[in-house]
Amino acid sequence: MSNGKIISQEPIIELKHIDKHFGSLHVLKDINLTVHKGEVVVIIGPSGSGKSTLCRTINRLETIDSGEIVIDGSVMPKEGKKLAELRSQIGMVFQSFNLFAHKTILDNVTIAPRDVLKKSKREAEEEAMQLLKRVGVDSQAGKVPAQLSGGQQQRVAIARSLAMHPKAILFDEPTSALDPEMIGEVLDVMTELARDGMTMVIVTHEMNFARRVADRVIFMDGGSILEEAAPEEFFAAPKTQRARDFLNSLGDRESRS
Amino acid sequence: MMSVGELLSQFGDKYLQALWTTYGLTVLCFAGALVLGIAITVMRICPIKPLQWFGDFYVQIFRNIPGAALLIVLVYALPYLRVMLSYYMCVLVAVTLIPSSFCSEYLMAGMNTIGAGQIEAARSLGMTFFQIVKNVVLPQALRSTVLQMTNLLVATMLTTALASQVPLNPADLTGIVTYINTHAVGGITAFMISAFFYAVTAVVIGQIGNRIDKKVRILR
Ligand SMILES: Nc1ncnc2c1ncn2[C@@H]1O[C@H](COP(=O)(O)OP(=O)(O)O)[C@@H](O)[C@H]1O
Ligand SMILES: [Mg+2]
Repeated sequence: MSNGKIISQEPIIELKHIDKHFGSLHVLKDINLTVHKGEVVVIIGPSGSGKSTLCRTINRLETIDSGEIVIDGSVMPKEGKKLAELRSQIGMVFQSFNLFAHKTILDNVTIAPRDVLKKSKREAEEEAMQLLKRVGVDSQAGKVPAQLSGGQQQRVAIARSLAMHPKAILFDEPTSALDPEMIGEVLDVMTELARDGMTMVIVTHEMNFARRVADRVIFMDGGSILEEAAPEEFFAAPKTQRARDFLNSLGDRESRS
Repeated sequence: MMSVGELLSQFGDKYLQALWTTYGLTVLCFAGALVLGIAITVMRICPIKPLQWFGDFYVQIFRNIPGAALLIVLVYALPYLRVMLSYYMCVLVAVTLIPSSFCSEYLMAGMNTIGAGQIEAARSLGMTFFQIVKNVVLPQALRSTVLQMTNLLVATMLTTALASQVPLNPADLTGIVTYINTHAVGGITAFMISAFFYAVTAVVIGQIGNRIDKKVRILR
């Protein structure tokens, strides 16, 4: 593994033969993917290749046509209480942050632990403050999301996920909506999470970050997983022509940064 | 015709009672309309199709029939179904049902200001439909429709004038005009006094609504 990290063989997320259409568009084609405990999987690929859809399929924000999703040994049902419960075990961080606009930063982080996990207000707030401190926005706890910068909002979103003690966190292009000067602060928080052993699935266009943090890189195109390899292997010698084309298309931007 | 002073000295206490009748009806009907409107709105957005249909149907009905027609139905038709409501209850029900449909329409519009992303975030945190409604949807819908709800409160108050169409004792602000004009020659002045009370109340409600809106408006 890339950073000498030893990954357990305990599967946290298992996708088995997932197929999905948007109307006539076959957006996920027989996707099979297992993410192990402590593993960081980075998904890359051209725009429209189905990365977001795959990411959102893991906690069933998208419906699927066929296949099975297993979270830490439990099959994710289509709907109902059990689905909500399994979802609560998988965090999700979105491109557009999606903080609750009417709640303070502190309340954004405590609402789910209190209402879903039934924690006391005091316990939830104490932990929330620790998490906000960990991501460096504890001084903003009393403000509302619109008063924060994008980078700060995204770090709050990460803290909100962490407050549920998730078994894994999904990131769908977490830095794509950020001004360039704020990308670093979010990637730093994510790097730290990876170092602490969090299981992560990350869709991103930040190739240097992928090189540094990924245990495994997955290359998608046209709704299929075309390559799956350790980052040094993938970036040095992509096997498919489409992966080579994709990496070339990123061009100078990446070789410079 | 009597002057304002003569009217007030002779019928002042009657006006006061009428004012209370109108205020009482307004408060009860508006509170009922809010509760019903919220319940109907939750039905309209819930995942269960028949409940959605019922909610949409409810709103179409009560948004599109005249209040007077509804009151007539309640007063004359319900006894055939062996449901006996007092005149007061008939007015109460009519003036609750109609605003409740508007309340639901405003809330539906208010919900459009909530990004789909926030709902997805709530789902991904493991919240159930009702938890999302309670924590995210209703608070934001209510806070973004304070001005519409303020207008609805005023409209509800004006709709309580339907009470003048049935014998109520004490009468409401509109009914009192008829009462006075059958007992004395109040003429248009008797009505102007009632109109004054309606207008002043509406202005006060508007001011309070503006303040609340400023306070709870959601920064985006
Ligand atoms: N809700 C949707 N309805 C219809 N088509 C969609 C929807 N979401 C995504 N798509 C289409 O599915 C394909 C994959 O989208 P997406 O997973 O967002 O790709 P990526 O994240 O790799 O850019 C694209 O062609 C996109 O236009
Ligand atoms: Mg995407």
